[in-house]
Amino acid sequence: MKFNLKVIINIVGILLIVNGILMLTCLPFSFYYGESSWYEITISSIINLITGCILYLLTRSRNKEEKNIKKRDGYLIVTASWFFLSLFGMLPYILSNQIPTLTNAFFESVSGYTTTGATILDDIEGSLDYGLMYWRSLTQYMGGMGIIVLAVAILPFLGIGGMQLFVAEAPGISPDKLRPRIKETAKRLWIIYLSFTIILFFILFAEGMTFFDAVNHAMTTMATGGFSTKNESIGYFDSPVIQYTIIFFMALSATNFTLIYFGLKFKFRKIIENEEFKFYIGFLIVLTLIVFSTLYTIDNTDIEKTFRTALFNVVAILTTTGFASADYTSWNTFMTILFFLLMFFGATAGSTSGGVKLIRHMILLKNSFSELKKQLHPSAIIPVRINNSVVTRDVILNIQAFIILYIFLFSMGTMLMSLTGVDFITAVGSAGSAIGNVGPGIGDVGPSETYSSIPTTGKYILCALMFLGRLELFTVLLILTPFFWRDH
Amino acid sequence: MRIIIAGCGEMGFHLSKLLAKEEHDIVIIDKDQDVLAQADILDVISIVGSATSYKVLEQANIKSTDLLIAVTESEETNMISCTIGKHLGVKKTIARISNSDFIHRKDAFDLSSVGIDEVIFPEALAAKEIRKLLKESAAITTFDFEGGLLEFIGIPIGKDSVLNGKSLKETNYLNPDNNFTPVAILRDVQDVVKNKTIIPRADDIFEASDHAYFVAERDGGIDRVLALSGKKQYNIKDLMIYGGGPMAFVTAKHLAKKYKIKLIEEDRTRCEEIAAAIPNIMVLNGSGTDLEFLMKENLEYMDAFLSLTGETEKNILAALAAKETGIKKVIALVGNIEYIPLSQNMGVDTLINKKLIAADFISKHVKKGELLDLHSIHGLDADVIELKVNENSAICNKKIGDIEFPKTAVVGGVIRNNRSKTVRGDFVFENDDKVVVMCLKESKKIVQALFR
Repeated sequence: MKFNLKVIINIVGILLIVNGILMLTCLPFSFYYGESSWYEITISSIINLITGCILYLLTRSRNKEEKNIKKRDGYLIVTASWFFLSLFGMLPYILSNQIPTLTNAFFESVSGYTTTGATILDDIEGSLDYGLMYWRSLTQYMGGMGIIVLAVAILPFLGIGGMQLFVAEAPGISPDKLRPRIKETAKRLWIIYLSFTIILFFILFAEGMTFFDAVNHAMTTMATGGFSTKNESIGYFDSPVIQYTIIFFMALSATNFTLIYFGLKFKFRKIIENEEFKFYIGFLIVLTLIVFSTLYTIDNTDIEKTFRTALFNVVAILTTTGFASADYTSWNTFMTILFFLLMFFGATAGSTSGGVKLIRHMILLKNSFSELKKQLHPSAIIPVRINNSVVTRDVILNIQAFIILYIFLFSMGTMLMSLTGVDFITAVGSAGSAIGNVGPGIGDVGPSETYSSIPTTGKYILCALMFLGRLELFTVLLILTPFFWRDH
Repeated sequence: MRIIIAGCGEMGFHLSKLLAKEEHDIVIIDKDQDVLAQADILDVISIVGSATSYKVLEQANIKSTDLLIAVTESEETNMISCTIGKHLGVKKTIARISNSDFIHRKDAFDLSSVGIDEVIFPEALAAKEIRKLLKESAAITTFDFEGGLLEFIGIPIGKDSVLNGKSLKETNYLNPDNNFTPVAILRDVQDVVKNKTIIPRADDIFEASDHAYFVAERDGGIDRVLALSGKKQYNIKDLMIYGGGPMAFVTAKHLAKKYKIKLIEEDRTRCEEIAAAIPNIMVLNGSGTDLEFLMKENLEYMDAFLSLTGETEKNILAALAAKETGIKKVIALVGNIEYIPLSQNMGVDTLINKKLIAADFISKHVKKGELLDLHSIHGLDADVIELKVNENSAICNKKIGDIEFPKTAVVGGVIRNNRSKTVRGDFVFENDDKVVVMCLKESKKIVQALFR
């Protein structure tokens, strides 16, 4: 099979240049706080820029034919881009010697770009410089909306080929186009993303966070990433308003951006009529009530605080952000199981959240009901409907394949993790959390723990799961199939 | 009236026949010469050509035409034909459509802005009639006047009916509020040749197995009439519809909210289309003539069975089979008008014919001065007409008892100032009264003359 290697390398090169430029935005913080690590950050940036420029210049072409991106090229570009960005994104950690081992640095970098938010740092405040903390948050911010979406939005030449890339990266079943042209869609998505981040920054800053904390948390909240600048995560900010603000914006970021776009255009009808959104909100409410009532039986001294803790943790895990304000594994077994299972839901399609996504669950559940009904009426034709339109058989089969693969990969991941020597609960929790891009798991990787205790092999397994989860399985798995590399 | 009919299909042909009989000047346009040839037996002009060609329309002398009825199979052709026709100077246009979008969204697209004055959607009209028949399940025929103020309704007289063996005079006490009028009796229903339409007089006696027809007021009157038949008015909840064609589709869509519907269609792809388009109904892939299959789907528990495929023979057969299992209400779509008495003889109680329904609708727009509305009821040798009283009418300001009304005609009811009345001997006609009259065909002209 012939691939358009030129375009693939070309785009990876451009993305490395973008990566290098963004890395330079760490410098003001390094200088402001008088950190010596500005030097290593600059070196890392230059490595990114030089590598990027070489790749770009070597493969530059004026020939329009050679810029043609086919389906296969698209999948390869997306997977390669994510991999190389993570690889080059870990340079500041290694060169500055603040995350010295390759494994840990790569894990932290992958966890960042995939917006998982799992960390190997036991003491964030103590071991990382401000500049590096900012870089860590920035990787999540890039990964949140998607680097390819960014590329499609800013690169002028990614015309028709952009759609191939967009499909390969977009979360959910089918990417909704806001505008007829994919470039305009990508632009609008990034503009919405950016504007909300700025708004959130100002709110957090006004509510008493420091400038630095507000910038970082605004970015990692909008990306539903979950990296914090504090060891205690959001639990550090013992302020109800800050916590409620973050709850709201986590929930917002996990809402389909197409719906947010409609909301901004005052087309509220479209939002109200969206079944997945209604289910999402309803699900959040029910879960919060369950968690709240359970917590209330354990401790009923401060109702508001109990409610806030319940709401915060439900939203943080369902949206796959992974911020922590308390340790849900410390409450009781029921809560641990509940939160573990929540990792397999995810929020809505077309948002920055990870996981399976609610719409897939809804469609399969509806399909199961119609299968039940068909037992009674074997010749009945019972279509599955979402938002009043019929879900085609193809989509249902695709989702079934997705879920089966998801469960299969989770199981394989769990088994491999157990081989590395971690205990049962940790194996299950870390694999579920990684493939869902959540962050905290259960067991030794619970909200109050970190991933530092995971053995080296285990960290690489989790990295693979994070990539698979962020790119929604198919894009990465496809590249591992033999028929991808053959012509037929 | 000068009328152009575009399209000589089933509908066009039937309309031409009907309107030509009523002494209108008809021009038929159709692309297909062979199809047009069948119109040779009618007293009409036929033109071969496209109904959307201005040359053809001009050739049909559209300028001095009163009404253009476009009823080809293609909705688009009909609409364009009307638009062009209107532009060329026809007074009024009617287009046949097959898509309810055009009816529902007047705000989005006003058809009159493109020269279409009226649309006729036969499937929707039929669906409406079916809905009424289901609501008034004891009735065999029903249609209304002036938006339902007065209703024409036919019921079968059962053995247990209070009317059985009684004369009209004797049953007067059943009508204490005077809110319905018996207007016709059809005797020997089963016998196509010998059956007889009677306009009842005081001494005429009702017999079991007659069909009796009434004009009733909407409030109160209809329920009274339905009670007279001796058949219990039953509530219909579960429906089975056989067929997936346009008629079945529109009906199912129309009734989906009110009834629990099982729709049976043979073609799997069509099943999927229907299931996608109409939520809340169960679409089954199978044959409506496969009794074993129908039984598995609880045919015997259905309250009504509607057989609405495109094939008359299948519909009648399926309806008969359903009737056999004891379903109370069975309605069949019959394309062939000649089959109607035949299938009634075989026991299918209610039949729907798109052509008749469409003709009924069109006739409202083919007015001859005082004539507001005309309905022909199949089987009855009579018409129900609605007439308007004007200042010069012979009957204006006269008592009904003093008018020499033909013996073969009867006043069913009057609508005055948007209120319905049933009449007695001392009733005085006033200017602008709208009067519903049932008359045998022979007396129609005499009645019309009274209002002129």
